[in-house]
Amino acid sequence: MNRTEFMNRLERLLWDIPENERREALQYYNDYFDDAGPENEARVIRELGSPSQVAKTIREGMSENGEYTERGYKDTRFQDRQDVPADYQDIAAETSSGQRRQNPPNLWKLLSILLLCFLLLPVIIPLCLVLLAIPAAILIGIVGIVIAAAVLAVALPIAGVVLTGAAFYNLFITPAVGITLGGIGFLLLAAGILTFLLVLWTFKTIFPICIRSIVLVIRWPLRKAGIVK
Amino acid sequence: MVFNTGAALLDAIVLAVVSMDAEGTYGYKITQDVRQVIEISESTLYPVLRRLLKDGCLEVYDMEFGGRNRRYYKITDAGTAQLSLYVSEWQIYAAKITNIFTGRKKP
Repeated sequence: MNRTEFMNRLERLLWDIPENERREALQYYNDYFDDAGPENEARVIRELGSPSQVAKTIREGMSENGEYTERGYKDTRFQDRQDVPADYQDIAAETSSGQRRQNPPNLWKLLSILLLCFLLLPVIIPLCLVLLAIPAAILIGIVGIVIAAAVLAVALPIAGVVLTGAAFYNLFITPAVGITLGGIGFLLLAAGILTFLLVLWTFKTIFPICIRSIVLVIRWPLRKAGIVK
Repeated sequence: MVFNTGAALLDAIVLAVVSMDAEGTYGYKITQDVRQVIEISESTLYPVLRRLLKDGCLEVYDMEFGGRNRRYYKITDAGTAQLSLYVSEWQIYAAKITNIFTGRKKP
């Protein structure tokens, strides 16, 4: 890895820190390479370690709670600074107060998002209705087909039985009509039994799948929100 | 090194190194000067300089050098005050340690 690669990697690793912090850090290390000179480039890269190590150091240095020692970073929140006399800390606090500024909460961003949501309401509401209506229409269609098939499964055998009865009656008057009616009656009876089997199969297999997918669809946003696992 | 350098001592060393140049000095030179005294990795100094800058102990300015802008660090009045505090505390501390080591009694 040469200097350019090192600096490019470092810049990419620092993408999420504030712009001015990133510029400062990159300028420091650019200066550092310049002042070390091209003959020391390899040594400097070796001593700095990897770009991610340098990025980590910069990042940790930005948090207010830690301190740098020759041993590296340490978080001072969890240890008393007994090694520093009290009057020292006062003066240190004096010099540092005022310089330390806190980032204001990002109120404007939040407000603009809320405003955007409000302005988009005329679009969002119809969109939601359409999204709800499409599955509902599909569901109602499926239910309709199943009910029709069930009615057919009852009606066809009844018609078959009635026609077969009429066929027996006609068989002794006009045998041809009787045989025809009997054939149609048996056909209807067979079709009715097949439809009944079909409806039975539908209830046994299609319905559980439908219910499972509906449950999945309903649970999806909840799972996204982390309410249900 | 056998003894490790705490944050306050590291601050003091960096302030002392920067204060040696009235015109100010730059990152690479500060690192090399500090490394004359204590073992420190090259990447450790940037956060220290940044914090001292934020605390108002140091200030920076850019000056042209060899056809490019080089960033110089200079000690401020607050930094000088802080350094003299560190130095006097260090003298007391060092004297006590030396007394213990050499077996002399408290004056």
